[in-house]
Amino acid sequence: MYGDLGNKLVQQAKRTQNLAHLPPYQTELVRAVTREVRDLDKDVSALLEPFQGSFHPTDDQAVACTLLVNHLSMRRNKRCLLAYHHTRTDRVEELVWKGYDVVDLAGQQVRDGSGNTSSASSTTNGNGSMSNLSPQEEDYVRQYSDLLAAYKGQWTDIDLTGSLEPPRDLFIDVRVLKDAGEIQTEYGQFYVRQGDVERLIAQGYLQKLS
Amino acid sequence: MSYYDIDAILTDAEKVPCKFELDIPELGYLDNNPAQPLKSGTTVGLPLWLAELLALANRAPSSADEEAKSFVSLNLPPSLSNEVMSALKADPRAVPLRDQSHNFYGLGTRMLDLFEEKEICAILRRTFVTRAADIALHAGKAGATDDMGIGGGEEFLRGLEEWERKLFKKAHDGAKGSKEWMEGVKKHRR
Repeated sequence: MYGDLGNKLVQQAKRTQNLAHLPPYQTELVRAVTREVRDLDKDVSALLEPFQGSFHPTDDQAVACTLLVNHLSMRRNKRCLLAYHHTRTDRVEELVWKGYDVVDLAGQQVRDGSGNTSSASSTTNGNGSMSNLSPQEEDYVRQYSDLLAAYKGQWTDIDLTGSLEPPRDLFIDVRVLKDAGEIQTEYGQFYVRQGDVERLIAQGYLQKLS
Repeated sequence: MSYYDIDAILTDAEKVPCKFELDIPELGYLDNNPAQPLKSGTTVGLPLWLAELLALANRAPSSADEEAKSFVSLNLPPSLSNEVMSALKADPRAVPLRDQSHNFYGLGTRMLDLFEEKEICAILRRTFVTRAADIALHAGKAGATDDMGIGGGEEFLRGLEEWERKLFKKAHDGAKGSKEWMEGVKKHRR
């Protein structure tokens, strides 16, 4: 029945809400739902054609009812499509605020799943096609990150995306998980000021040693 | 309820029985029979997003002495039937609501917007309150012991529908959060 595919998409969105990571974009399903809308629109045009623009719902109630069903199905599909994408962009925005390298999300997930082992992340990083985002979503991430950076740039002495946990110690020991090139902070390389390396920890380059 | 609310959209997909009031040649597929016209009087289970507006859309009377009618007449879905209602009246805790409908209360509120059914309304309200107390009890226990409600309540928890599951999760996280906070307080006192 019309609307069944849209429902599948919303079930995917429901699943996404309960997952820690963002599942792959359902390219095929989205395409099928939009195709259904186009088919319905064609049906409507075909139904109205014999009337030459002078259709009166009262004269032909069966056709009027069919048109209503088609219209409602299209509207339903639209809502399903929008809700699916809205759920995903919400999640993506959340990840950007958390400071994840979202475009490299696939690598991020492997790392999360395998308990912070550095080898797993470096193997998937080489494989750029692992991303769970659609090309449009990747574009969205880039532009949203730029927006956020511009917004944050207004305050130089406070990090809006920094941790809300008050630090116990000003300095912490860190372990390097993946190669980030040579980074020299004001105080050293492994015993550093927490505020200086928070970003690198969030991005998965460093691990904090307690 | 927002336009983007996933649970509202899923509730909208719950099916309700609709009786068609006129023959419609093109809609045979709704009754799984695309080759045949949909006959007047056929009852089909349609999702709420379709059924509600088909039932509300008025078609003009075809003759002067006929009253304005809609395309379909709605009926209450099986999950709100008399049998279910009497079971809930007897013991709200004994009915696995999830088996009736994943969005039992969501469907109920939507239907009661359309039907004047004071008794169903009262039963649903009493059911929710009675079960909510039990849910909070189970969730508190589970939150305090770190296992998700093992120990007796499994059967009851399996039968929770979506609203109740959310309630359970909130109560569970609340109990767990306050336990963690209390431990944190103790640690800092040292």
